[in-house]
Amino acid sequence: MTATAAPVPDAIDLSDRDFWLEPPEVRHAVFDRLRAEDPFAFFAEPEVPGMPVGPGYHAVTRHADLDAISSQPQVFCSGKGAVSIQDIPADLNEFYGSMISMDDPRHARIRRIVSKTFTPRMLERVVDSVRGIVEDVLVEARRTAEAQGGRLDVVADIAAPIPLRVICDMMGVPAEDRAAVLAASNVILSGGDPELIADQEEPLTALFEAGIALAGIMERLAAERLERPTDDLTTALVTTEVDGERLTHQEIASFFILLLVAGNETTRNAISHGLQALQEHPEQRARWAVDPSIDKTAVEEVVRWVSPITWMRRTATRDGELHGHRFSAGDKFLLFYAAANRDPAVFADPHVFDLTRDPNPHVGFGGHGPHFCLGAHLARRELAVTFRAVFDLLPDLEVTGPPDRLRSSFVNGLKRLPARLTGVR
Amino acid sequence: MSRIEVDRDRCVGSGTCEALAPDVFEVDDDGVLVVHREEPGEEELDDVRDAVQACPTRALALAD
Repeated sequence: MTATAAPVPDAIDLSDRDFWLEPPEVRHAVFDRLRAEDPFAFFAEPEVPGMPVGPGYHAVTRHADLDAISSQPQVFCSGKGAVSIQDIPADLNEFYGSMISMDDPRHARIRRIVSKTFTPRMLERVVDSVRGIVEDVLVEARRTAEAQGGRLDVVADIAAPIPLRVICDMMGVPAEDRAAVLAASNVILSGGDPELIADQEEPLTALFEAGIALAGIMERLAAERLERPTDDLTTALVTTEVDGERLTHQEIASFFILLLVAGNETTRNAISHGLQALQEHPEQRARWAVDPSIDKTAVEEVVRWVSPITWMRRTATRDGELHGHRFSAGDKFLLFYAAANRDPAVFADPHVFDLTRDPNPHVGFGGHGPHFCLGAHLARRELAVTFRAVFDLLPDLEVTGPPDRLRSSFVNGLKRLPARLTGVR
Repeated sequence: MSRIEVDRDRCVGSGTCEALAPDVFEVDDDGVLVVHREEPGEEELDDVRDAVQACPTRALALAD
């Protein structure tokens, strides 16, 4: 049994960027205190050059509150912005105004264009190709380690290339564009981390350029698919009609970017943090390695434990009350999935990593509601295949750490996680 | 006889129900949920109940 016993900072400020560099135990000690003492805690917004500073936000940390907000999209909308605390400037909307920041009925109509592809039945067909990708990546990771005296980086050599290749294949993005996709995707979800956003005075310029880079790949592909349709997702985006009309350029670009970025960063961090968690819990790792029958609960526990996306935003559309908390139209709420996933009201021993946890009603893919993760079934497949393949092909993987954390409140990201293969001499 | 009800405003075609009761539910090419048997047989009821319970958008109900 382990428990969080990290000190809680005297003054809690979730808008302090450096807070997000703290290790998970510090983060969770703060969430525990907010959940117990101030479950709708109010914070001023972090300042971002080029963005208007809004009125502040409430941090939602209890599972019941988070799920109630998610499941009432008419009262708590996404259309004012779901992935940014600040309202996004219009010129960035060209690239980032996707369905994740839309409300129904438009959101539902656009989502249906791709929903079939992400159903479990359709994903059965890509499982073999996912397995092939994972095996390729792990064989290459061993080669890399052998050339470096056994050392490797879990992020660059294992966790990043797997989802990158899977989503690029599904979208029809050719191999030569993968590096550009990864680079742009890292900037988009950098949270302003100085390593990824060189000019800290002009962070929006970097975001804009990353959007242009991905939209450029999309435009080339879209032209090809219009001429010669295939069965990939890009073809679906450019050929499907919604309400009798094709999607606009802006809708296609932002959708393309959403799928690429969301398909990349989330699964990557579930893999890298998951491998670190297995290193820290050797008894759990040993159990899972020999028992594929726990794949299903193990994958869910990894997602709960990691909570790859820390929060999404909702905005109140009217005045009201939720579980005794009064709110006004325009109030912003950040739904802290990472906090709800450790709520003792829902999870017994929430800070215990238990790969057989069942039931496990985590909100790592979002709470109940229309924005529930489109890629959840894909992510589960990728994670199950990846961890199984690591047990089989890299049984001597030892995470040595410490990790380099991404300075982001939004993505629970690792930039690097040092490891070695103990079998390499 | 139990009857499956779908709230079309809530359904986003995630296919979670389809995974749990593939003979009863299917998301079609347009992303729309099709219910093959609105009154499932006794032997399918457990799977259908699991599907109703698991729906991420709470779009399914089983009415008596």
